[in-house]
Amino acid sequence: MKELLKQKEISILAIILLIGAVLSFVSPVFLTIGNFLDIIEGNVVLGILAIGMTLIIITSDIDVSVAAVTTAVAVSIGYLFTYLPDSWISVLLLFLIAPVIGLVMGLVNGLLVSIIEIPAIVVTLGTLNIIAGIVLYITNGNYINSTSFPKSFMEFANYELLGIPILIYLLAIVAIGTWYILKHTLIGRSVLAIGGNTQSSVRVGIDYKKVKLFVFAYMGVLAGIAAIAQTAYTKAVDPNGMLGLELTVIAAVVLGGANIHGGRGSVHGTLLGVLLLAIMQNGMILARIDTYWQNVVTGAIIVIAVSYDHISYKRSQDKLAKIEVEA
Amino acid sequence: MSDYILQMKNISKTFPGVKALDNVELEVKKGEVHALIGENGAGKSTLIKILAGIHKPDPGAKFYFEGEEAKINKPIDATLKGVSIIYQDLSLFPNLSVAENIYIGQDSNKKPWKKINWKNIKKTAERALEELEVDIDPNTTVERLSIAQQQLVEIARALAFEAKLIVMDEPTSALSSSEVEKLYRVVDKLSSRGISIIFISHKLKELFRVSDRFTVLRDGKYVGSYQTEEIDESKLINLMVGRDVSYEKNEKEVETGETIFQISNFSKQGNFKDISFSLKKGEVLGITGLVGSGRTELAQAIFGVNKPDSGELKIYGNDVQIRSSADAVKKGVAYIPEARQTQGLVLEQSIINNISLPILNRMRNKLKLIDRKSEVQLAEQYIKSLDVRPALPDLPASKLSGGNQQKVVIGKWLSAQPKILIIDEPTNGIDIGAKTEIHKLLRRLANDGIGVIMISSELPEILAVSDRVLVMRQGRISGELGIKEATQEKIMSYALNSGNKDESSEVLNEPNQVSQGV
Ligand SMILES: Nc1ncnc2c1ncn2[C@@H]1O[C@H](COP(=O)(O)OP(=O)(O)OP(=O)(O)O)[C@@H](O)[C@H]1O
Ligand SMILES: [Mg+2]
Repeated sequence: MKELLKQKEISILAIILLIGAVLSFVSPVFLTIGNFLDIIEGNVVLGILAIGMTLIIITSDIDVSVAAVTTAVAVSIGYLFTYLPDSWISVLLLFLIAPVIGLVMGLVNGLLVSIIEIPAIVVTLGTLNIIAGIVLYITNGNYINSTSFPKSFMEFANYELLGIPILIYLLAIVAIGTWYILKHTLIGRSVLAIGGNTQSSVRVGIDYKKVKLFVFAYMGVLAGIAAIAQTAYTKAVDPNGMLGLELTVIAAVVLGGANIHGGRGSVHGTLLGVLLLAIMQNGMILARIDTYWQNVVTGAIIVIAVSYDHISYKRSQDKLAKIEVEA
Repeated sequence: MSDYILQMKNISKTFPGVKALDNVELEVKKGEVHALIGENGAGKSTLIKILAGIHKPDPGAKFYFEGEEAKINKPIDATLKGVSIIYQDLSLFPNLSVAENIYIGQDSNKKPWKKINWKNIKKTAERALEELEVDIDPNTTVERLSIAQQQLVEIARALAFEAKLIVMDEPTSALSSSEVEKLYRVVDKLSSRGISIIFISHKLKELFRVSDRFTVLRDGKYVGSYQTEEIDESKLINLMVGRDVSYEKNEKEVETGETIFQISNFSKQGNFKDISFSLKKGEVLGITGLVGSGRTELAQAIFGVNKPDSGELKIYGNDVQIRSSADAVKKGVAYIPEARQTQGLVLEQSIINNISLPILNRMRNKLKLIDRKSEVQLAEQYIKSLDVRPALPDLPASKLSGGNQQKVVIGKWLSAQPKILIIDEPTNGIDIGAKTEIHKLLRRLANDGIGVIMISSELPEILAVSDRVLVMRQGRISGELGIKEATQEKIMSYALNSGNKDESSEVLNEPNQVSQGV
């Protein structure tokens, strides 16, 4: 299967190159380093969330509350700005507080899924609505703009190292950290194991409830980090700015080769999935395609990718030794 | 030091509504192969799951390992005591590599943030595979392996854990006969190295071949433990079932009617060649032969999952083309495959819902809603005729023992009331008492006018049920016998021809891989 996975990743890469080639004909701007960095920076939030979602999807669960959680943290950040003194310490403190707020919400999801064993889609649909409702009540839907942001945060947001925006480093750190967890720690291997066969994992002594709790909690932490990235990138807090983003997040993960039935998925695959979506969107903007059609095309790609995934999953299941039955 | 690697005493287990085990004991000596036997639902798997720490026994249970008392509360406790369990349905991770599958669980009691030592994982796996003398690449993912190889991976896992006691729950039910021989050799080797083995199986011959001692369970109760030398098959059956069970040869002459099914010149490269036979109303046709003689491939060809290269098929005199398994079902052909336990049960659903599944559209009342009453009736009828235990139609299938789940699968296929029923190894995994029930049922179906084709490697079964016997060898029909003239010896001589068993069973050792997803 590793080969197949690689094939899948190579085919995404091939599609990306193809679209890239077409786009560089359509628009001379496309093939510039500047445009490329813009594309990536503009998708850091999507990338961070998709990386967290990858772990959840590997365990065969799903979290549709990510965008709401991220928005809630972003709104909290907006309010915090009025209390925090304007200094670098505050920015650092933000990196502590935001993930913790996200963690709390992730833990709520995780506890409901793992301890009470409510299906994740039900739990997260519920928390999505609760959180979104509270956010609207508190903000009245009002936008907080950068005039009330501390200067130090604006400096952070505009900071570049070696000509590369700071947010891209943030994405890189999250990606490498998650890759390490997945590949080299016990908990990461357990994530893959319970996605492969939950019953087997019970029998070899893996506590699958803890693992599920972990993936949702981790998703919460990453949502906290994504909220900082979102605030820094848009230089504003918009309670409606991420409406529906969870679907794009899930699409990126699935495009990147993760299996919605669990058991497989990777950080680098997901990053490729994000890149594919990002380039497509960028290309359609450069090609001046109407926004409505942009949505249609993106939607179509998502449907095709998910069907492809499902069909190939079914095929591979037919060939597999069946080992699901409890006897 | 105690002679016993394991002693379990006072083991009871109450599931809501069912007392699965009642004061059972089990004692296993060091280095012995210990057979655990009993009818379907006797409690074998439950006892093992208690040993494994998956089920909690009722209070009062005692465990001793090498004479010392111990507590087993969760799987890791058993693992640390040197117990490794190979479940009927295996406990592998299809998406992970062989090496990881072998190693997994060794770190279960470590901190979740512990760094994984990939070198160590590879080394452990390679060493275990080497010890078993099997040639499996530790880097491939497990889903690419055959069932037999997967089982070896599980055994390798047990070795990597330095298991002192390995439990195998019906390990041979999914293996071909040459693979089974290999497994016996592995078992012999393990026990000669001082590792104890608990072997669960319904195949008595096999148990006499591998075991040193027997423990018999009946209805969740302990019957006794016996040295292999002090018992024989019939005594064992009596202990298990509480009565004598023996098959009698089917001697009755049946009235046969019109020809309802006929195939001519069925051929498929590498599978079978020039197969022609017909089936009359009221008749059970037995097909036997060595494993690898093309029997299953032929059955699957008739059922449309393994397309033949050429050949014609007639049902009630009409030429029929079968394009797929769905098409076959539509045309009245049912095929109950050998690997039943893993196919086609909705585990969370009740026995009723499983049995009525294929014919829901025939169960609708005037309002076009599903008529619960006739659904229940149908289920009760099959529960009775197949002796499903416990006989609770509302029980979810997941709560049944392995053998009883199989009976439900059979019931489900029968409920569709096919014109032609092809059944492959009908009593694989089914206990001896229920076997005779299934035999009677097949006879009854034939009497009711359904054409029954039964594939079986068990000659007594063939003789007890069939009216006519086809013997296959190397993909061809090597002989046909009316039941009157048929004897085990005659059948074997057709199956082997020269009597050189090894040669003939190897001829078709690589039949086309056929999807079993029926
Ligand atoms: N999870 C469960 N809940 C309720 N009842 C159960 C459960 N598991 C098993 N049982 C019941 O316990 C009894 C013993 O089942 P067990 O699986 O131990 O039988 P077995 O001896 O392994 O049979 P087989 O040969 O068919 O595999 C059966 O009556 C079964 O229905
Ligand atoms: Mg069992």
